[in-house]
Amino acid sequence: MRRFLTTSATLDRGIGLVALVLVALGPVAFSAYWVSFILTQTFWLGIAATSMIFLSAYGGMVSLGQVGIYGVAGIVLGNVVTTGQVKGLHLGWNPWLGVVLAIVIATVVGLLLGALASRSTGIYFLMLTLTFGVLIYYFFSSVTSFSGFSGISGIQGHTPSVVGDPTNHPNRLYYIALVAALLVYLGVRYLVRTPFGLTLQGIRDDPVRMASLGYNVELHRTLAFGLSAFVASLAGVLFVWWNDHVDPTSFGLGPIIDLLIVGVIGSLYRLEGAWVGAFAFILINNYTHDVNVPVVGGSFNTVIGVIFLAIVLLSPGGLLGIWEWLNRQARELMTGAGAATLAKARPVKP
Amino acid sequence: MTYVRERARRIRPVVGLSILAAAAAVAAVLASAALGGARATPIKIAILSDCKGPFGNQYNADVGGAEAAFAQFAGSKLVNPGDPSKGFTGGSVAGHPLKLVGLGCSDSTPDVAIKEVKRLMEQLHADILIGPLSGDEGVATANYAKSHPNQIFINGTSGAQDSTLKVRAPNFFRFNGDGAMWNAGIGDLAYHKLGWRKAAIIMDDYSFAWTSGAGMISDFCAVGGQITKRVFPPLGTTDYSSFVRQLPPPSKVDGYFWVVGGTGTIASLKAFEQAYGPLKSKQFVGNLFFGVAGNYQSIAPRINGAYTGGFGTPGLDYVTPATKAYVAAVSKAVKAVPPLGAMNIANAYNGFFFNYYKDGEALVQALKADGGNPAASALGPALSKVVLNTPFGTVKLDKNRQAVEAEWSYQLVASPKGTTVNTVQYIPGVDQTFSGTYSPSTPPPGRNFPKCVKKNLSWIGKEKPVVNGVIK
Repeated sequence: MRRFLTTSATLDRGIGLVALVLVALGPVAFSAYWVSFILTQTFWLGIAATSMIFLSAYGGMVSLGQVGIYGVAGIVLGNVVTTGQVKGLHLGWNPWLGVVLAIVIATVVGLLLGALASRSTGIYFLMLTLTFGVLIYYFFSSVTSFSGFSGISGIQGHTPSVVGDPTNHPNRLYYIALVAALLVYLGVRYLVRTPFGLTLQGIRDDPVRMASLGYNVELHRTLAFGLSAFVASLAGVLFVWWNDHVDPTSFGLGPIIDLLIVGVIGSLYRLEGAWVGAFAFILINNYTHDVNVPVVGGSFNTVIGVIFLAIVLLSPGGLLGIWEWLNRQARELMTGAGAATLAKARPVKP
Repeated sequence: MTYVRERARRIRPVVGLSILAAAAAVAAVLASAALGGARATPIKIAILSDCKGPFGNQYNADVGGAEAAFAQFAGSKLVNPGDPSKGFTGGSVAGHPLKLVGLGCSDSTPDVAIKEVKRLMEQLHADILIGPLSGDEGVATANYAKSHPNQIFINGTSGAQDSTLKVRAPNFFRFNGDGAMWNAGIGDLAYHKLGWRKAAIIMDDYSFAWTSGAGMISDFCAVGGQITKRVFPPLGTTDYSSFVRQLPPPSKVDGYFWVVGGTGTIASLKAFEQAYGPLKSKQFVGNLFFGVAGNYQSIAPRINGAYTGGFGTPGLDYVTPATKAYVAAVSKAVKAVPPLGAMNIANAYNGFFFNYYKDGEALVQALKADGGNPAASALGPALSKVVLNTPFGTVKLDKNRQAVEAEWSYQLVASPKGTTVNTVQYIPGVDQTFSGTYSPSTPPPGRNFPKCVKKNLSWIGKEKPVVNGVIK
């Protein structure tokens, strides 16, 4: 058993090291398209999914409002930094000021949503956060001073110098998104081990008991929402730098469902699932355009729908759940085989 | 067991990264395989339209139009003449083979369009993109073109004014009119032929509809008309009752300019019926969505005789030897444009089909001029010089690479023989600026722009009536 675990851990670490090297050498190891489109998108979409998974895994709250929050960050940044574009406020302020404002405003919006939603649970919580997401969509669709249906384009021309123009220098944004993803991952992992994180998990498991012990359940939930909004706002900033454009359909009902699918495919219970799910989702989206499924036809939506159903039915823990199951099977096989060998070597005396 | 849990906890991050690495490696192999095997100096083309969303029913019309042009002028063939979405094969220009690297599928939203543009231009490495279909998609694509100067972008049917007048990417070309140009002359028609003096306008709340409405407002106000109310339902609205209630009742205005497109056209007219009773044809003037194939068959019986703005093509009664030759040529290449049906004159005159056809023809003409070189440095200047002699008039580009072309106005007709779209006037030489009303420094068309101002437009009073399909 011990030997198996050692071998398994060594193998995992080896693969992990290869992954780290591959990711670190992304521009050398992958094509420009993969760097600028697939992987950079994986990083920011994974960050957005992390904001949802953090609430789900450690707070027991599956929020559909995270896309709206990153949309707020994206719209704020677009309005604040662009100038001379067709739509928006054209403020033309310093790009760093834009980033700060985008994060602060989106986080405050998240806190307000958290304060509203913290008293509800289950389906009511889900509906409330979905309503928030749809409300954000219609608000920015209707208020043409900020966006309108057309949205804001040309944001890549107004990034901080360290980001530059992601179209002509995609590697910079790639590494910035990679570092942001790593920091978010490590930060959230640290956070859930702090007294606040442990309290949050206690509230997730038994809110009545935690309340009777004197913990302020609503306040903890609201703060958790604020933290997740902060993470989602980072995704929003990276998204508009990457996409060069933001409009209400960037955070409408479609993207809301997409983010839920990313979480479910990866794992709603593990932080790593955010990036695994994002990577799988983006790959499927990119490479199933010519797939033709018999009877139902062929499209990304069909394929992703079938995969979503299969995962919900067979592995509620997502792809990481499948990986864990495979690990367990291998372990049992190994230990079973070991016992059999032992039995052969030392036959039982009559 | 505690040891096992502890070990498992420690390896979790490594597990995630391991999965990422393995999947990345597999996908990288797949990607490189997909990109391999290129032929010598092919001209790599991608076509982008909407296969979903409010204009999804025009996908095959768009794709089929471009493919028909490649078949006619470059010798290619549709993989399935009854289904343009299957692509085309063969064909060459100046010895360089045409290669369709991909068909893009958007849904009228700029966000999806840009992702598709990136896939086609960066993953599939197209030299030239033809598309997109819709207004905001075009603005976003033009912005994308600006930051990708080494590739060529030929607008599909997207009609937002900003794409060429504001963004002005040097490698973005539009061989069709914008939404305002297509409505040139229609305000004059409403004022003088229908006797309108006060009108209200309802228009989708996005770039194309603003541009389309801007054409109606500019034209109507130029001759002295007044717009008393503007209403803006969001694109994709399904229940228009609250929006039509914002319009003044029929007794308070002489008529309504109707700029609601896609699946909303008929839904909005039904909502008006429910609010104010039966529709009176003399009180409605629509934009291209009244007359486009797939729509007029349902709308004409409701408002028989209503006038509509054009789409760069005449009505079905305008038949000349040149148009007959055009219909015959495209019918030879394309047998059907699902779901609009078998290829016929209505589908050949459909602006979605014809505008993409013009793009294909312009591209082949430019490639012939530059010896089949798809590089933007050679193809760009060649495209700028293209002059298209189409069966519906001459098309040339202005300094912003925007078409200057003839426009047409229609009348919907429903009779026991069926429904059709007839031509009522021909307006030659329409340009994007509307005699200085629009320029790079004016605000873009929107909810409050243009203002209703009396002005002398170059074509006012010079529109040529078309009677029984003959230009007078």
